[in-house]
Amino acid sequence: MSAVSVFMSSFGFGLMTAAVLAIATVGFTMQFAVTNVLNLAYGSVMINSAFVAYYFNARGMNAWVTLVFGMVTGAVVSWALNRFVFTPFQRRNLAPITVVIVALGVDLVGTFGLQAIVGGGYVSFRLAPGQEYHILGMFLSGMQLVILAICAVVLGMIHWLLKYTRLGKAMRATSANPNLARNSGVKTQMVISTTWLISGALCGLAGTVFAMNTGVFEATSAQLYIVMLLAAMFLGGPGEPYGAMFGALTIGLATEISAAYISPQYKEVVAFLALLGMLTFRPYGIFGSEKTN
Amino acid sequence: MSVELSQSGQVLTATGLSAGYDGRPIVQDVNIEATPGKVVSIVGPNGSGKSTLLKSLVGVVPVLGGTVSVGAKDITNMTPEKVAALGVGYVPQIDDVFPPLTVKENLEIGGYLLARRDVATRIEAVLEFFPRLKVMLTRKAGKLSGGERKMLAMGRVLMLSPSVLVLDEPTANLAPIVATQLLEEYIRGFADHGSTVLLVEQRAKAALRISDWTCVLGGGRVVLEGAPRDLEQDPVFVESFLGGGTARHQAP
Ligand SMILES: Nc1ncnc2c1ncn2[C@@H]1O[C@H](COP(=O)(O)OP(=O)(O)OP(=O)(O)O)[C@@H](O)[C@H]1O
Ligand SMILES: [Mg+2]
Repeated sequence: MSAVSVFMSSFGFGLMTAAVLAIATVGFTMQFAVTNVLNLAYGSVMINSAFVAYYFNARGMNAWVTLVFGMVTGAVVSWALNRFVFTPFQRRNLAPITVVIVALGVDLVGTFGLQAIVGGGYVSFRLAPGQEYHILGMFLSGMQLVILAICAVVLGMIHWLLKYTRLGKAMRATSANPNLARNSGVKTQMVISTTWLISGALCGLAGTVFAMNTGVFEATSAQLYIVMLLAAMFLGGPGEPYGAMFGALTIGLATEISAAYISPQYKEVVAFLALLGMLTFRPYGIFGSEKTN
Repeated sequence: MSVELSQSGQVLTATGLSAGYDGRPIVQDVNIEATPGKVVSIVGPNGSGKSTLLKSLVGVVPVLGGTVSVGAKDITNMTPEKVAALGVGYVPQIDDVFPPLTVKENLEIGGYLLARRDVATRIEAVLEFFPRLKVMLTRKAGKLSGGERKMLAMGRVLMLSPSVLVLDEPTANLAPIVATQLLEEYIRGFADHGSTVLLVEQRAKAALRISDWTCVLGGGRVVLEGAPRDLEQDPVFVESFLGGGTARHQAP
């Protein structure tokens, strides 16, 4: 293959990775923005949601329909995590690091608990990849194009939610200044719960399309995904949904293109280096601004 | 200024109020009554508990003893969102806007409790009041100047047509002319329209000029209070707050 075609085909992979990562990072960063929880258990919720969707798919349900089950699982599990795990720990006024460590524990329990249930083997969705399309030197299957379309539509909906709806504005207000939001009559507890439902649905969706896009997956497949999430989030500025989209695009493309030239094994390393560089030179991200007052 | 922005209305009362953080009282045994049509101001040195007092009235800081009421309603330790719904508008000393939101969005959040169809007309009314905000509706609140920002902060609470205004140093960091205008035109104006105004003001002289009653807070307690013309005659007050107009000492 020529240099250009290697580049363009890896660009295609990068686009897929970026699209899935964008959905995941937006959910991840929304949780951080509105509740100040760095939910390190995000990857395990993703893969658990994927397995629930897979469960229905393996019993004959159309794979695209099972996305709904993945989303519902992600939403309910995330909401419950916040309600019964993170909030009680936050209420006790412990150091913020406590919640991070708790989330890490939840991630391990979630991942290996799943492994105990489903076993260690690889599975894959029953989903025809469809015709292969050759677009600008990229090779994308029909399935991948559908995933891209879903991601684009969902990101568009998130944009609409945050920018034009009462709920979305209340979410942004709660994120910016929770006390003032309450002084304005916003029931911030409700807003926070709703945020976890919505971001959890994004998490479940991301997990399921991640599993579909990967082809074969197992209980631990999303274990290193948190590195990609953190890199994308910090690149765009923590708590900035639009920054998350940008960060995901950058990290998605960077990891896949570097994979074509170095080795796919080093994807997370590349993401991690990007994260380190970002933390060193612009800890508030490209779009983020230092929250001072 | 023909627009009716604030509603006339309700008495705000604190009785034997103690409040503070982590169960430790900062404000102790404070009695305050703010009535419709009047400006009641609170002055006092830095750290005397002025902000803590206001926060405890609006549900941001826990009340540890005593009661707070609006009209006939006991609002002691009520959540801030319920206090807002009862017509009490609170402008904090700092963090008084949502910086990443635009001016328009800040006003929309201010009108969060309004019926959806009323928000736009209400924004129009508030903008008539603060015309300077009109040309910056799409600007982020974090990018406003100090004076514009205070107008936005006031505009946000006016969205709900409050009957009681609780204002924590609205003139801090403002140029003297802007500060005077804010106090004498706008804030005094609310009271003249029948609203209840409770105001914390650093500059005692300016506070006295627009107030009907002034309380001096020291060490979390009301150490002196009275009508402005009486306080102006009070040697202790004059020495502590009006003497030379520069240094502000702890009232004895
Ligand atoms: N969140 C908090 N937790 C604990 N103590 C606090 C907190 N906020 C304020 N304090 C303390 O309460 C006391 C009163 O503070 P407060 O902000 O009410 O004073 P103030 O009269 O408004 O001062 P200033 O004129 O500087 O605004 C101070 O000693 C302050 O250190
Ligand atoms: Mg203060």
